[in-house]
Amino acid sequence: MSAFSLYVDRNSGLNRLNPLTMLALIGFCLVAGLALPGAWAPYAVFLLAILPLAAGGRVLRPFLSAALKIVLPFAVSVTLIQGLFWTGGTPIVHLGPLSLKREGLIFAAQSTGRILAVLGSFLLLALTTRTDALMIALAQHGAPKSLTYIVLATLQIAPRFQAKANTILDAQRARGLEVEGGIGRRVRALIPLTIPLVLGSIVDIEERAIALEARAFSRSGPKTSLLVLRDSHMQRIGRWVLVGGMIAAVILGIVLRR
Amino acid sequence: MNIIVSALSFTYPSGVEALHGVNLAIAAGEAVAILGENGAGKTTLVKHFNGLLRPTRGTVAVGGWDTREHSVAQMAARAGYVFQNPDDQLFERTVQAEVMFGPHNLGRTAAEAGAAAADALAQVGLAAQSGANPYDLHLSERKLLALAAVLAMHTPVVVLDEPTTGQDARGVARISGIVEALKAEGRTVIAISHDVDFCAEHFDRVVLMAGGLILADGPAADVFARADDLRRADVEPPQLVRLASALGLLGAPLRTEQFVDLLAQARL
Ligand SMILES: Nc1ncnc2c1ncn2[C@@H]1O[C@H](COP(=O)(O)OP(=O)(O)OP(=O)(O)O)[C@@H](O)[C@H]1O
Ligand SMILES: [Mg+2]
Repeated sequence: MSAFSLYVDRNSGLNRLNPLTMLALIGFCLVAGLALPGAWAPYAVFLLAILPLAAGGRVLRPFLSAALKIVLPFAVSVTLIQGLFWTGGTPIVHLGPLSLKREGLIFAAQSTGRILAVLGSFLLLALTTRTDALMIALAQHGAPKSLTYIVLATLQIAPRFQAKANTILDAQRARGLEVEGGIGRRVRALIPLTIPLVLGSIVDIEERAIALEARAFSRSGPKTSLLVLRDSHMQRIGRWVLVGGMIAAVILGIVLRR
Repeated sequence: MNIIVSALSFTYPSGVEALHGVNLAIAAGEAVAILGENGAGKTTLVKHFNGLLRPTRGTVAVGGWDTREHSVAQMAARAGYVFQNPDDQLFERTVQAEVMFGPHNLGRTAAEAGAAAADALAQVGLAAQSGANPYDLHLSERKLLALAAVLAMHTPVVVLDEPTTGQDARGVARISGIVEALKAEGRTVIAISHDVDFCAEHFDRVVLMAGGLILADGPAADVFARADDLRRADVEPPQLVRLASALGLLGAPLRTEQFVDLLAQARL
């Protein structure tokens, strides 16, 4: 798929799940990771739920590489800043004139864990679930279709813009415009490109809207989707169990925190 | 200017293997038609001539320049490519600006570029529309404009990707005249076309492609006589050839005079 979608089709069990079931699973991971008390809870959710799911969905490698790229810099900076500059904490490690404070480190570990759980959940969803399938599933369950169209169209416009830019760049190169080598050249090549790009995209969008209308896009009433979403009794039950799990996690969090 | 393609294979980033070891040598001043079914790899092949695509394996050289060692802009001065879809090629706001774009980039003076543009527009019959916005032209006119934009660059090699598609008889006649003029100037002309009659009439050499390979390559009369290869490439022989074979005449006549001659010989 395009550079703007993380989805990878691995024909895995997770790819075959109904998008709503995936959404419920992700929702459960998010709620459990954030609601359960203690600095360890998000880590536990990450290690015991999100990571095994990523492995089961055969996206462990892209998952870990994306998660590390984002979380690691955050973890390092928050650990240093909060550890070193926590006011009035208990010093546990001395580094010359500075010292790492216990409270600061705990705070850093807590926030890193939360980021890990939240980011991991969304990353897992993006890697295993097609956005269009998710939107269709939501629309079938009553979400406003104009909203789902806007989300989908926005996701698709970026790659179209990119494709159009490449097409025009090819046309210009083929007629002798030098764009290779040197950032200055590239920028100069892009300036004449902006107007046709914007105009072309507007025409594209207009044509697409007309094409959609010509095929009864805004007709009310039920629609048949070409993308067949699988669902099953088991999955429906599973979703309710997960929703129950989320409620339980919230209650448990409140009870244990006292 | 000549073109040498050796063992060219090309795989698109999406994984589609469009060419599988193509060898082709085109001499300076030759007129070559490339025919073949949809998806045969014709466009993919000619996009290598100006470096828009670079070989996955093998090499392409135009006038001794290896396309991997030169930028597309440099190659463009040698091989002009008229895109299959004019909407992929046109981006300026006026017809005039569109045709001037190439000559400007090749470093022509304003006067030279203006003269080249006026000439090219007259050749394709769009002189009166030079102030129009390309978006407001008909598809057939946009195709002619795309052609003019390349003609104005005076490149030694001219590549036309399906020039006659969507043209009425007058448009086809215009394009035929342009091809003949280019040939008379000694330029190398390469056309991709599904229009076998157009190819038979104006191109001495025919390259037949299917599935990313060259099935047949030779004088038009020879290639159009190879019924099996034509069928494999999903190409119908030209009407005169079909007529001749239906009449039991020997040979593949490409022009009306040749057909009449054959018929006369058979009568004798
Ligand atoms: N940009 C692209 N990305 C991926 N695959 C492509 C791309 N362009 C062409 N292809 C594929 O490469 C193969 C050859 O395509 P190509 O356009 O060269 O064929 P063609 O002979 O010009 O066909 P046509 O007569 O339809 O123009 C086809 O299978 C096509 O689907
Ligand atoms: Mg083509």
